[in-house]
Amino acid sequence: MANQHLEQFIEVAKRVGAEVLQLEDLEAAAKYISSVASGTTLVPETPLAVKHNLRSLLAAEDVEVFSGNFREAGHVPAGGVTFCNFCMADSGTVVLESTDESIRLATTLPETHFVIVDPEKILEDNLAAVTPMTQMHTGSDPKFVAYITGPSRTADIERVLTIGCHGPRELHILLVNNVSSDLMEN
Amino acid sequence: MKTNTNYKESVEQAIANPKLSKALHLFGDAYLIARENAYRGLDFEQMRTELSDIKEEVRLNRKELLAEFIKNAEAAGSKVFLAKNTKEANDYVIKLAKSKDAKLIAKSKSMVSEEAHFNKAVQAHGIRAAETDLGEWIIQLAGQRPSHMVMPAIHMFKEEVAELFSKEAGKTLTPEIKTLVDHARTRLRQEYFDADIGLTGANFLVANTGGIGLVTNEGNARLCATLPKVHVVFASIHKLVRNIEDAIKITRLLPRNATGQLLTSYVTWIKGCVPCDGEQKEQHIVLIDGGREALYESKACRDALKCIQCGACANVCPVYQTVGGHVFGSIYISAIGVILTAFYEGLDKAKDITRACIGCRSCVAVCPSKIDLEEIILHLRNEVTKEYGMGVIKNVAFKAVMKNRGLFHSMVRAASKLQRPVTHKNRKEGEPRIIRHLPLHFLDRDFTEWRDLPSIAPKSFRDQFDTIPQTLFNPDYKVGFFVGCGADFVYPEVGVSLIKVLNSLNVEVVFPKGQNCCGIPALYSGDTETGLDLAKQSVEAFTEAEVDYVLSICPTCTMAVKRDFVDRLADHPQWAAKARELSAKTMDASAFLENVLGASQKLASTTTDQSVTYHDSCHLKRGSNVYKEPRALLKSTGITVKEMKNSDRCCGFGGTYSFLSHPQISKQITADKVSAIEATGVKTVAMDCPGCMIMLKGAVGKANESIRCVHTIELLAEAIDNNKK
Repeated sequence: MANQHLEQFIEVAKRVGAEVLQLEDLEAAAKYISSVASGTTLVPETPLAVKHNLRSLLAAEDVEVFSGNFREAGHVPAGGVTFCNFCMADSGTVVLESTDESIRLATTLPETHFVIVDPEKILEDNLAAVTPMTQMHTGSDPKFVAYITGPSRTADIERVLTIGCHGPRELHILLVNNVSSDLMEN
Repeated sequence: MKTNTNYKESVEQAIANPKLSKALHLFGDAYLIARENAYRGLDFEQMRTELSDIKEEVRLNRKELLAEFIKNAEAAGSKVFLAKNTKEANDYVIKLAKSKDAKLIAKSKSMVSEEAHFNKAVQAHGIRAAETDLGEWIIQLAGQRPSHMVMPAIHMFKEEVAELFSKEAGKTLTPEIKTLVDHARTRLRQEYFDADIGLTGANFLVANTGGIGLVTNEGNARLCATLPKVHVVFASIHKLVRNIEDAIKITRLLPRNATGQLLTSYVTWIKGCVPCDGEQKEQHIVLIDGGREALYESKACRDALKCIQCGACANVCPVYQTVGGHVFGSIYISAIGVILTAFYEGLDKAKDITRACIGCRSCVAVCPSKIDLEEIILHLRNEVTKEYGMGVIKNVAFKAVMKNRGLFHSMVRAASKLQRPVTHKNRKEGEPRIIRHLPLHFLDRDFTEWRDLPSIAPKSFRDQFDTIPQTLFNPDYKVGFFVGCGADFVYPEVGVSLIKVLNSLNVEVVFPKGQNCCGIPALYSGDTETGLDLAKQSVEAFTEAEVDYVLSICPTCTMAVKRDFVDRLADHPQWAAKARELSAKTMDASAFLENVLGASQKLASTTTDQSVTYHDSCHLKRGSNVYKEPRALLKSTGITVKEMKNSDRCCGFGGTYSFLSHPQISKQITADKVSAIEATGVKTVAMDCPGCMIMLKGAVGKANESIRCVHTIELLAEAIDNNKK
């Protein structure tokens, strides 16, 4: 069943500067990433990445998957590849539970952030996100959740919108079916 | 009150340098469009009412919420420190840094750290604070303070930034924005890796999770919170919210209202000591009061703490657009800055800027927390007057003359005769005499340098009323006319026109002679005592008149009667009920004509074939929400209304503002309005406010003699006359 918010999500995400692609499967995603990223790529070993053998898929397409501590991958690695917990259609936002430091490093340091999204995970808006957000924050465990909307930007010099300030210069959203529909998982 | 010479100089300097003002105007125009797009399909009024309620709940339960936040934050491993003031907050971080032997703190944006002069404080202990927000870094290099809450370096141009960056880098950078941003990206990346401590602010302190929320665009806050081993959150206590839901609701308004974005690039939610390079991060949350508790306790001003720091009040402010944030503000700027400066830095620091507000209420209209900024500023102005006095001219005018109705009105009559030697024939045929040049040697200014002044009418409206015949057989309504000083003494013809229009629709007009000035000029100058006295006089007069409605053709008077009389007399038992009754039946004449009488249907037979542009008066649109009515009335007579750019932007009048406190700022704001009118190519500009008429007739008269400024009611009366012919 097609997600009823998919079309809006794609349109709004593009409007805020993200690249959005609908791809057949994770192999196609890996091929795409390989065609764009050239250089060190950070791929956190999250439950979904392990489940789908993401590192191997990428390595098979000659993506330079970095295997050490991400803090040692240089100040500005070429790419970072992650899944996401859910998205919000009305603002074109992807949401990543990033308590694991490797996820944070893979989404803040690189030039390009690739995020793989199962369309099942697209919610209508940020009000619809209240429930999963509240669920993520139950209990007293430390938590880091990131909303990401398009690439990093600034308008601090003469109010001129400029892309790529301190975070990734590019955000590529790769829509792939049958990855995961669990909003608590990435 | 004596104006601080430094302040006066800073105003003059800002006006002498129009480059900044021009940039802020462009920004303001673009902002309005972006904001409108961002709210498309949403109900801003409903959203901001909800936000205001959320913040009110926080105020009421702040002690419990603070305790809940601290408990939950500590459960997640954070250390929480409550600082009474910014010095305690700085000292805590300095002590922490010393215990870690920390030399470098990478900072993302935190306004309360500006308030604390944090960078300077830590520097004195050999610790370097590196700003990583692009705008903050620019002003840190320049040794300045922010001139805007969201865009701290909005006052700087790329050439200046290039110069600063080149000096710091030891190489020449071209003044190209992309190059400069790239340089900052590369140069500052090193700081996150080198820093011992990362410091961020917080947009939210979420009580039921103990976590914080950060709303940002550049991505530096995420790096500051991730790379260094220690994370310090520097936040003021009024950032508390009950839960994630409330915080999310704020994120629906904040970016839309700040920059016209649906959401910022990043919203980051951090709770407790997250993993950091194989260990647990150390997180310290410094919660700063710094005058907020005192502000919460101020009944008149506490709504200011509902502020979510979007900066919109600056974006739309004509004064800010004219002089910038370094003049109109301190650490915090523009309307909210006036209030926060008074509470966080002291009334003395705020006394000049409380008078710099022109009272146009454009900030009130866009505030996402529904703060009545203008009303709070008026209250503070009153405090300033109590503390520092009002100045000789106003003292005599308000206290000695206006309060005494007999004296006031006979002085006006005398002035009408005495002014003869300085008045001139109007440039336009048939218009009243004007004052083209009025040398006032005892004041250091020339009132007529850039505008003509109206003369006082030979016969005031109150002296004409009895001679105007009203032959109505069985009128549908009997209405009382609250004339207001402008129409009474300067433009009595507007009052005469009103009678003509109302009579033609079978409405009788009565004029209670005991009415006096609405008191706003005194009140806006901080003289509440005179304001109170004047309110009583008019309430008395209209209560005795026993009318169905009370109409005014001056929106400031309408607001005064509807809102301020009620407030002023609320604690006076013999007056309170009468004031409320008067308030309930008072409205602007255009609103009465259209909403009560349905006049646009009835006037439809009249014909005037002309084009008019319409200027929305601040207090009519934003004080009474009347803007459709005059347009409908004008169009019904066959007039084509050609809209001007920013029709609801202030004309620059602001009462005594344009004469006594800030004529130099008024002049600029008026010039904007005159060019907007001229750009329509239309030869008539209609408005519904005698104050705007004084300003625009004067300034347009000097700038472009072929344009006529007229009250809507006058055009309606002319249409009726045309029809009779």
